[in-house]
Amino acid sequence: MRPRPRWLWTGAALFALTFPALVGFDAYVCHVAVLVLLYATLALGLNIVPGFTGLLDLGYVGFYAVGAYTAGLLSLAFGVSFWLALPLAALNGALWGVLRGAPTLRLTGDYFAIVTFGFSELVVMVAKNETWLTRGPMGLPGIPPPSALGASFRGELPFYYLILTVALLLIVVSRRIAASRVGRAWFAIREDEVAAEACGIDVARYKVTAFALSAAVGASAGAFYAHWITFISPGAFQFWESVLILCMIVLGGMGSVPGAVLGAVILVSLSEVLRSLLGQFGLPEDTRFIFFGLVMVLMMRFRPEGLLPVKATVKSER
Amino acid sequence: MLAQQILNGLTLGGIYALIAVGYTMVYGIIQLINFAHGEIYMLGAFLALTALTALHLPFPVALLFGVACCALLGVAVDAVAYRPLRRAPRLSALITAIGVSIFLQNLARILWGARTKSFPDEVIPALFKATFVVGDVTVTALQVFILAVVLALMLTLRWIVLRTKMGRAMRACAQDLTCAQLMGVDVNRVVSFTFALGSALGAVAGVLIGVYYNAVYPLMGYRAGIKAFAAAVLGGIGNIPGAIAGAFILGAAEALGAAYVSSLYRDGIAYAIMILFILFKPTGIFGQRRETKV
Repeated sequence: MRPRPRWLWTGAALFALTFPALVGFDAYVCHVAVLVLLYATLALGLNIVPGFTGLLDLGYVGFYAVGAYTAGLLSLAFGVSFWLALPLAALNGALWGVLRGAPTLRLTGDYFAIVTFGFSELVVMVAKNETWLTRGPMGLPGIPPPSALGASFRGELPFYYLILTVALLLIVVSRRIAASRVGRAWFAIREDEVAAEACGIDVARYKVTAFALSAAVGASAGAFYAHWITFISPGAFQFWESVLILCMIVLGGMGSVPGAVLGAVILVSLSEVLRSLLGQFGLPEDTRFIFFGLVMVLMMRFRPEGLLPVKATVKSER
Repeated sequence: MLAQQILNGLTLGGIYALIAVGYTMVYGIIQLINFAHGEIYMLGAFLALTALTALHLPFPVALLFGVACCALLGVAVDAVAYRPLRRAPRLSALITAIGVSIFLQNLARILWGARTKSFPDEVIPALFKATFVVGDVTVTALQVFILAVVLALMLTLRWIVLRTKMGRAMRACAQDLTCAQLMGVDVNRVVSFTFALGSALGAVAGVLIGVYYNAVYPLMGYRAGIKAFAAAVLGGIGNIPGAIAGAFILGAAEALGAAYVSSLYRDGIAYAIMILFILFKPTGIFGQRRETKV
């Protein structure tokens, strides 16, 4: 990977740390900022599978849902605190990542994408229909917010710094792991699975590692979401969410860590702007997805490597 | 009860068959899951509905209008979005297909609104409303009509693929695209024709289901599209008779599953069948095993 200047990362981190003060602690702007960071976390987590190993995951939102429901149910039914629920949700997410990943090891390309899509649809279907567990479409209200130092989180500020910590940690981990032996193995699998196998890379092991890690990140983001919004329902985990997260890494550049973050910043901001703009034209806010579809088509046509491409790798043809 | 469910399942299967052949033909030639195909089916229903209610065309003309528009749209989508990516990595084309699907779906939401529309009673031919009772099975004339249309279209498709020059070119392209090109087949024209044919059949399915359930809505193509794709997988992707058989099996499984197992997991049955087939028998019931070339 081409090293980007260190001051750029430091500057961005400093900006992010002081951001709430810069906008005068405006509640709405801070809320959007938390949303940006939450999606950046999701984009970084998704990036591990399509970006690093080259397998298109169309059902990432399934892990997000698993994490949200795991954390929500643990808190509501057993009074587990957020700080314990978060790692448990991540663990459960990783478990499902492996369960979904293990049988799909032989699959490539389209079939892998379809199975991941089917998985996330089934997750949402279970959340909707198993009312004894999830209360179905009514959702789970009243999930307690996290507490620290004897006080529970109030307002957007503590959530902002919590998710910022998670996102920064993930950026560092993503970059380190991409530069490690594991990362090189993933890139080899992405470029040519058969050649990687022939070079002695244990393809199955590295793929399962990627699935577990990616799913754990998605589930952690779900746990955060559950305790932040304090209400979850199956409606929050539709297929479109997977598309939106995928769109972020397509925009930023598949496999690119700064790209995933930039994609989240651009698309969440665009989404908020469109939400109010479309309302003025009397259109339902969901129609903003028309732009995300357009972004995907145009990016693939004119700039398939994304806005912040990973430079040093050579993309293979087919 | 059982016979009734089987009949309902076959009707549904016929609809899926019309959509599934569109997936399987395109996949057979350019190895692309055309995610936007479900949206074409949805747009077919909307366009025919608009032709009926706004332009006051008679039912057969409105049906043809929807079909013709969708055939053109299918060709346009291929020319604008997919053709420039023919040599790009497979992943890029797949992402584009998802983008086109999301785009068309929301376009329909903007043009026609998100609410479910229905065919006004007076525009549906009175003939469709007749019902017959055979034993304890109630058969509607519409069901008979749907199955007859499906049968006629499938026979026409068979004739096109097996007996015409274009059909031979399609089969050549499906076998080996590069080789067909070297033999003088105009590949782009064949692909355009395939998109037109598949989209036209998909649009017929959209109109028929719109009348059958009397509901047309922007999200209708999303689940139906995936189920039809599941049918194509079931029959071995790229295999036209396989897709048709798969569609009828899936339709029957869905109707019986909804009646006897759980109506809540109606859509789940199709997904589960699809996932199990992809995992354990990715070549489908009729597909041939292809060696992976390195």
